[in-house]
Amino acid sequence: MDSWVIALMLGASIFLGGLALIAFLWGIKSGQFDDEKKFLNQARFDGDDDLQEAAEQERKKETLKKRSYKPE
Amino acid sequence: MESLKTERLGCLNVSKVACDHCHLEFDEGVMIEEGAHRFCCKGCQGVFHLLQTEGLDSFYEKLGDAKLAPPTQQFESSDNFDTPAFYERFVTHNDEGFCEVSLIIEGIHCAACVWLNEKALHRLDGVIEADINFTTNKARIVWSDETIKLSRIIDTIRAIGYDAFPYDPSLQEQRANRERKDYYLRMAVAGFALMNMMSISFAQYHGYFSGIEGDIVTILNMGEWVLSTPVLLYSGWVFFRGAYYGLRNQVVNMDLLVATGAVTTYMYSIYITAMKLGEAYFDSVTMIIAFVLFGKFLEVLSRKNAADTLDVITKYVPSEVMVVENGEMRSVKVSEVRIDDVVALRAGEKAALDGIVTEGEGSMDESSLTGESVPIYKTALSSIISGSVSIDAALRYRVTRDFAHSTLSHLMALLENAMRRKPRIEELANRISERFSSTILLLALLTFVGWYFWPHDFNTALMVGVSVIIIACPCALALATPVATLVGLGLGAKRGILFKAAAQLETLSQIDTVVFDKTGSLTEGRFGVCAQWLEDERDAAVIYAMAKLSKHPVSKGVARALEAYDRHLSVDGFEEIAALGVRAHYEGCELIGGNARHLAAYGIKTPPLERSAFYVGSEGKLLAWFELEDTIKSDAPEALEYFRKAGIQIRMLTGDHEAAARRVASSLGIEQFAYEQRPEAKEALVAALQAEGKKVMMVGDGINDILALSRADIGISMGQGSDIAIEVSDVVLLHDSLASLIEAHQIAKTTYRLIRQNLGLSLIYNAITIPLAMAGYIIPLVAAASMSLSSILVVLNSMRIRYSWRR
Repeated sequence: MDSWVIALMLGASIFLGGLALIAFLWGIKSGQFDDEKKFLNQARFDGDDDLQEAAEQERKKETLKKRSYKPE
Repeated sequence: MESLKTERLGCLNVSKVACDHCHLEFDEGVMIEEGAHRFCCKGCQGVFHLLQTEGLDSFYEKLGDAKLAPPTQQFESSDNFDTPAFYERFVTHNDEGFCEVSLIIEGIHCAACVWLNEKALHRLDGVIEADINFTTNKARIVWSDETIKLSRIIDTIRAIGYDAFPYDPSLQEQRANRERKDYYLRMAVAGFALMNMMSISFAQYHGYFSGIEGDIVTILNMGEWVLSTPVLLYSGWVFFRGAYYGLRNQVVNMDLLVATGAVTTYMYSIYITAMKLGEAYFDSVTMIIAFVLFGKFLEVLSRKNAADTLDVITKYVPSEVMVVENGEMRSVKVSEVRIDDVVALRAGEKAALDGIVTEGEGSMDESSLTGESVPIYKTALSSIISGSVSIDAALRYRVTRDFAHSTLSHLMALLENAMRRKPRIEELANRISERFSSTILLLALLTFVGWYFWPHDFNTALMVGVSVIIIACPCALALATPVATLVGLGLGAKRGILFKAAAQLETLSQIDTVVFDKTGSLTEGRFGVCAQWLEDERDAAVIYAMAKLSKHPVSKGVARALEAYDRHLSVDGFEEIAALGVRAHYEGCELIGGNARHLAAYGIKTPPLERSAFYVGSEGKLLAWFELEDTIKSDAPEALEYFRKAGIQIRMLTGDHEAAARRVASSLGIEQFAYEQRPEAKEALVAALQAEGKKVMMVGDGINDILALSRADIGISMGQGSDIAIEVSDVVLLHDSLASLIEAHQIAKTTYRLIRQNLGLSLIYNAITIPLAMAGYIIPLVAAASMSLSSILVVLNSMRIRYSWRR
């Protein structure tokens, strides 16, 4: 086995591992692990309704933003 | 009394039925029936109907068999959530122009509760975001202030059976969380690199013994180089920062040794890789940083921020008061109130200023300021002390001193001073590591010079010099204290003892004098029934139902004593009459409870009692009496015995008067005690003891103890104590018991012994390996192995204590 194969394998695995590490760091930073209980339990209630509600909430925010917008 | 008797008979029918809202089970007789549904109280019924009409009834499906607490019915008005003062303190405006507040939601039991709250809030017009953290019960709510008022949001939460309190998220906690998160990130990087590097190193060391080609070694070295670079630059950043601050203060600290060690090793390894000289030391770089970073992280987990203490103190003072001017009430900032202004004080409020009562009457609780256990009755011309709390008094008082000169501000100013003068015992590990670090750096330099001039080439001399730094790199030393204190903190936390900083374990183990405050520390600090008489024991349930509604400490004491008789009865027309007692109706008959004067007004004769008394009568007849006093804690004698045996001096201080002090001191066998002590006098006594060279532990719970608590080497407060006392103290006993004080002392002693053992272990370890390194016997493999081995030794030794305590 040539030594370049080892170099390639080493490089590829460090690269892939690095990607996983970056994803994990992003997860910590964006607070995805902050509330483990909700994360695990709320999955049971997940469904169309909640998706609908999230969209509704987003729309509400938009309209409120427009309403409170006052030109100088 | 006929109606009371039928109620008693009704209770005999015992078949348990679950409430349709909270799922708690009660006797069928007491349930409210409504068609096929049954409810335990009006609150549950109300919430149930609300959820039905709002279409949120799928909540019960999600709830499953979980049980809820029945909703509380008596809320204060939510109007104060809309005041400018509240907004200034808790509400922030985000970038998009919406308001944001952080609340703690009370009553959350399960994921379904979180779901219900979020759903209900989302349905409100104007609420943009409602995010509730299930683990901490904290909620962040974003809303548009033009569409909806905060009080309406709070009312919604209360309507579905929960309650909400505001809290300020900019405090300590959030800052601590941010720092913790930062450490998580750095440790994740170091951990990732360390694990991968182990597999590479394994190949290398295997090759070292069984033969390996030179260019493969170089490739493996390159791989390690790539992995160790982010560890050194990102994870290791904390050490560079620490070393820099150390040098600026002219201190050689452990951070400097770690930073020098890591950088020289890293540089040297690059040199080896480039020159193709064999195995590099990249794994040692990573390991040093990962291990010591972990030790530092443990320290961060258990640190207290001094600056936040002052935040909490300023919050303790009410920010606005109601000033009465020409018959009109107007809210004014405390700092703007002038002498001779008249201020209105409502029941339950805290007085912000000193003054003299002009109008109204009622009882004030001054116990946390003066230590006096009995509430004091105030009428016109009585004086009001700032910081005292009104129990049932609604009165107006004329301000005699402006805010800057009030008793409370004076106390706060003294407190800052006392906190500054608190003696700090330097930690054992810091004292050692400073000397250790400079010694090692010097030895490494000497080794290099020695080898270079003892004819060897530069390469060998450098390698041996560097190996001294690597082998001595203080992994074990850095872990010795944090791991030991973590074990100590863990042992404490399980037993309801909170140490605010790890260093306090060391200090606590060395105290030789303990000073107790009387009220709340040696005694319960609240009224307990010491004698009672009931005409008919079955009336107890009704008396309990009445007494529990009162805010007065005496009625509360009676309620506590009768808790076992709770039958979920409810009384109507409850009324609290200041300085006299309470009055309520139950099934048509009038119940009167209170002091002798109150009952005499209804023509009921009462037997004279020695201590504070609570009589209950109905329709001209006495039903029961209770005699109450501030009882001594049941575990107080045991605790005092323990400290006496340990050879620790015991003293008692109190702001209470002589008779009360003498009674407690003589029954507990305390010889040295002082009474009628003002807060400043308490601090002075602690300071005097310290001047004699004593290490003083102060145990207290009131505002009058805060100066002494913060001045003492170790301040210990009870979990039920006032917020400020908890804030300024170093250790909090959550269970409020003196038995946990004994445990706290034992844990501290054990931990201190453990720290010394661990430091000893790592120093002995270095005493063996450093000479070997100086003699040039250390190769990378040995360096890496010895580093892990010494750390493991220290951790194992600490775990040993943990297990021995568990037994």
